[in-house]
Amino acid sequence: MAFINSELTEELKKFGIFDFSACYNCGNCTAVCSLTSEDESFPRNMLRYSMLGLKDEITVSLKPWLCYYCGDCSTYCPQKAYPGELMMTLRRWLTSKYDWTGLSGLLYKSVAWNVFAFLLVAAGVIAYAVCQNFSLEAIMHAGHVFEMLAIAGVFTLILLPNIIRMWYVTTIRAGIHAPSKVYLRQLSELFVHMFTQKRTLSCDDHKLRWFEHLILVIGYLSLLFITVFLNWFETGSVLINLFGYSVSAVVFIVTFHFVLERIRKTKEISMFSRSSDWFFVIWLFLMGFSAFLVRLFIDLNLLEQNLWLYLVHLIILAQWALLIVPFGKWTHFLYRSFAMYFQRIIEDHSNLSKK
Amino acid sequence: MSKKIGVYICSCGGNISDYVDVEKVKAAIETEENVAFSKTAMFACSDASQKEMEKDIQENNLDDVIVASCSPKLHLTTFRAVTVRAGLNKFSYYHANIREQVSWAHSDDKSGATENAIHVVKAAIAKMRHAKPLDPIIIRSKKAVAVIGAGVSGMRAAIGLAKMECEVYLIERNHFIGGHTAQWEELFPSEETGRDIITRLYQELLRYKNIKLYTGARIVENSGHIGNFILKVKIDPLFVHENPDISEVEKAIAVCPVTVPDAFNFNLTERKAIYRNHPGEFPERTVVDVQHCTRCGECIKVCKSIDFSKEETSLELQVGSILFATGFDPYTPGENEFGYGQIPNVITLPQFMRLIALNDKRLIVNGKDIKKIAYIYCVGSRQPDGDLKYCSRYCCTAAIHASIRARKKYQNISNFHFTRGVRTYGKQEVYYNESLRAGDVFLQSFDHELPVVYEKENRTFVKINDILTEQKELVLEADLVVLVTSMVPRTDQSTASLFKLPKGRDNFLKEVHMKLRPVETVIDGITIAGTCQGPMNITESVSSSLSAAVKAYSYVSKGEIELEPIVASINKNICTWCNACYEACPFDAINKVDEISKSYAVINNSICKGCGMCLPVCPYDAIELITYSNREIEEMIDMLSKD
Repeated sequence: MAFINSELTEELKKFGIFDFSACYNCGNCTAVCSLTSEDESFPRNMLRYSMLGLKDEITVSLKPWLCYYCGDCSTYCPQKAYPGELMMTLRRWLTSKYDWTGLSGLLYKSVAWNVFAFLLVAAGVIAYAVCQNFSLEAIMHAGHVFEMLAIAGVFTLILLPNIIRMWYVTTIRAGIHAPSKVYLRQLSELFVHMFTQKRTLSCDDHKLRWFEHLILVIGYLSLLFITVFLNWFETGSVLINLFGYSVSAVVFIVTFHFVLERIRKTKEISMFSRSSDWFFVIWLFLMGFSAFLVRLFIDLNLLEQNLWLYLVHLIILAQWALLIVPFGKWTHFLYRSFAMYFQRIIEDHSNLSKK
Repeated sequence: MSKKIGVYICSCGGNISDYVDVEKVKAAIETEENVAFSKTAMFACSDASQKEMEKDIQENNLDDVIVASCSPKLHLTTFRAVTVRAGLNKFSYYHANIREQVSWAHSDDKSGATENAIHVVKAAIAKMRHAKPLDPIIIRSKKAVAVIGAGVSGMRAAIGLAKMECEVYLIERNHFIGGHTAQWEELFPSEETGRDIITRLYQELLRYKNIKLYTGARIVENSGHIGNFILKVKIDPLFVHENPDISEVEKAIAVCPVTVPDAFNFNLTERKAIYRNHPGEFPERTVVDVQHCTRCGECIKVCKSIDFSKEETSLELQVGSILFATGFDPYTPGENEFGYGQIPNVITLPQFMRLIALNDKRLIVNGKDIKKIAYIYCVGSRQPDGDLKYCSRYCCTAAIHASIRARKKYQNISNFHFTRGVRTYGKQEVYYNESLRAGDVFLQSFDHELPVVYEKENRTFVKINDILTEQKELVLEADLVVLVTSMVPRTDQSTASLFKLPKGRDNFLKEVHMKLRPVETVIDGITIAGTCQGPMNITESVSSSLSAAVKAYSYVSKGEIELEPIVASINKNICTWCNACYEACPFDAINKVDEISKSYAVINNSICKGCGMCLPVCPYDAIELITYSNREIEEMIDMLSKD
């Protein structure tokens, strides 16, 4: 038994631009979806849950994460209800539900809060630079330390607890108590999906999107690895340096394409952009691009005279690490792969119980 | 001089001749007594054949013609017209069916089919030996129509008839005219109010001197028939003068100690036993509710215009045709059907529509501000069992339209529609779309798993297994539950019974043929219009009422009507008036004639439909059915049973 709750419907609308009222329940969206299956059908039921405000049903559901937004449902919707965008909306809403700090919800719903938070971080970085009398060496060192601290801190304080919360609501609260051998058996799924987004390949659209995403993930993770663990900005190794150039270029070229598509709005996936979407692609672009320039300036011995460039890079980095990664769209990268993992666990477990 | 009969055997382009040897049939019958001429034809109904037939009749001086071909339903009139063109009486023609009843029925047995066809044609010849020319019965028809019921259908029909310069008697049972339409505010699809529609019709009605309106009137007796119905009408007295002193009337209403639920507002409010018309009801006047008035006399003390000494009057009307527009009753849900009568905030759609009319700024029921409204559809419609199997047609659109109005008129209204599938057919679909776009939620259930309305700690809930949401059990807490009730036939069908109008399985009045004769009844001269025939919205009611008006006019326009002469006739020398035929006649066409020496029965030719019900019950065989006389039928049977 579930209670119809129109308040939740209003709340959901703040997370996206989905037109709830257009849907007349024909079910075309589910019929054309290439990822839906008889056991795990979507997006029609998620639309109904959203229209009716069935909070528990949406909270325990992994389905929004199982959708990879090819946009077919929106294309073929006779009522222009944009079911694809609803799934995106639900991902945003779920992100805010998993987040124990509540900051995700705040940043998703309000542009003003975003601007404030981004300015605050920028001010912090500048204040630190002032304290250090704009010493490049000190700031660069601090930047490197910050990267490591941020990764460790954000992961342990925000992401890990949020993943645990996600696991709790989608499995334990849904009544799935799988033995640990199931968790171990399916562990590979987690990594496969995290790094390859294999599931996108089953989508009906062309495979460029999957390929771009794949090299972006590789590029991004490599850039992270090089700057944090191989200290790209201070290394003397030509090999690492060239590798750094190429991966940062991959990041900003691919994201440049993404930004361009969001501006052009030619595909369903890029037709509706919320602030979280813009921040994500633009900051990723800026990160790659500024890192590339910083290293270029180092190689050309220009950085000493152009300290501002590194400061800009650091501000972007700090905003990325403190806002977008823990509370923004970056988390989708984690939740999607964990959702696939939990889904396999649930399937495996139910197969076991059937036997 | 013996009769000369011409016989044509049609091949029907193979439909008959593929199985029946038409030449053999011709050979077998041409030697029969009285057969002066016989012929086969490829298509007897073709223009060429028809012309040939005319020539044959004239050249051979034929008295009667038989065409053995298809069903008489298809071409009886065609060939009757041929004989008439050739100068014969149309009853000199007989149609023998050797297609549907012979060739198609026995396509597996060709020689048998041929034998069968020979028998059928010989039987037809046997019949025609005794056939006599007949003339149609012509009766006088009074150019006046009685319209019963002055709702939107009756009013519109009356105006339509009046325009054709026909005398119209508009007879309304209540003191006010306007019917249910007067009760409604804005209506789909024109957004005019029912009040405005009735006001407009009433003003138009007044302009026609040939419309006579009788309110508080009941038909108590009917005699006569098409062309000449004689109706006895009783009219309730008006105890208040037509033009009273309004301030005195207001005092009289104030002092009246009797309060009764006001049916105009579907019992949401109360009125006194003396009361005025609501806006939209006409004529504008004050009336006394005789049923509830206790004659305490309080009103007389303050108002000089009240006079209880007046009595019922009666009058007799003579009309050529009658148009029924007696309307519908809104379905009243059973005790506790979806909590009706038990849970205070469960109301019907008509009540909800009045509630919107009565509440201006805020929608308040039982002191509670209404925000969430649940609408339960198909209450009293589309029931799997019982009489209410039909769809009431108007209700889906009416409910959605009312919900849109509530949303527009009041703030923060959420609508939840518990449907069994939305049927906003035709142009009304735009309302469904509008309500969807405004954010209304639609849920749907099967007929065997209806929603449940229940109360818990003074809160009202509606539970449904929503087939649009994986049949999940969903619960809504609603401030108001509106039962979207159907249209049902009038509980009081006494007037229809007086005229012996047939009813359908759903108990609404029944037309002769749903598609082809949609406003006629089997009682000649009586038409039906609007919701007495079945659920309709106002648009549909008015179009049916206009078509009934035209049909009714066709019965009276010429001042006379031709009727088929196929009627029963009674031999008064044999008849002893035993009452048996009078009892058996379904149309009251038999009258008793008393003479000094004896009593006997006579047939009223204008009412008799030639059904033959009286024939077998007559103990003395005194009744004959013209064109189906005993002799004709017996000889046909003899012929058919011969080897």
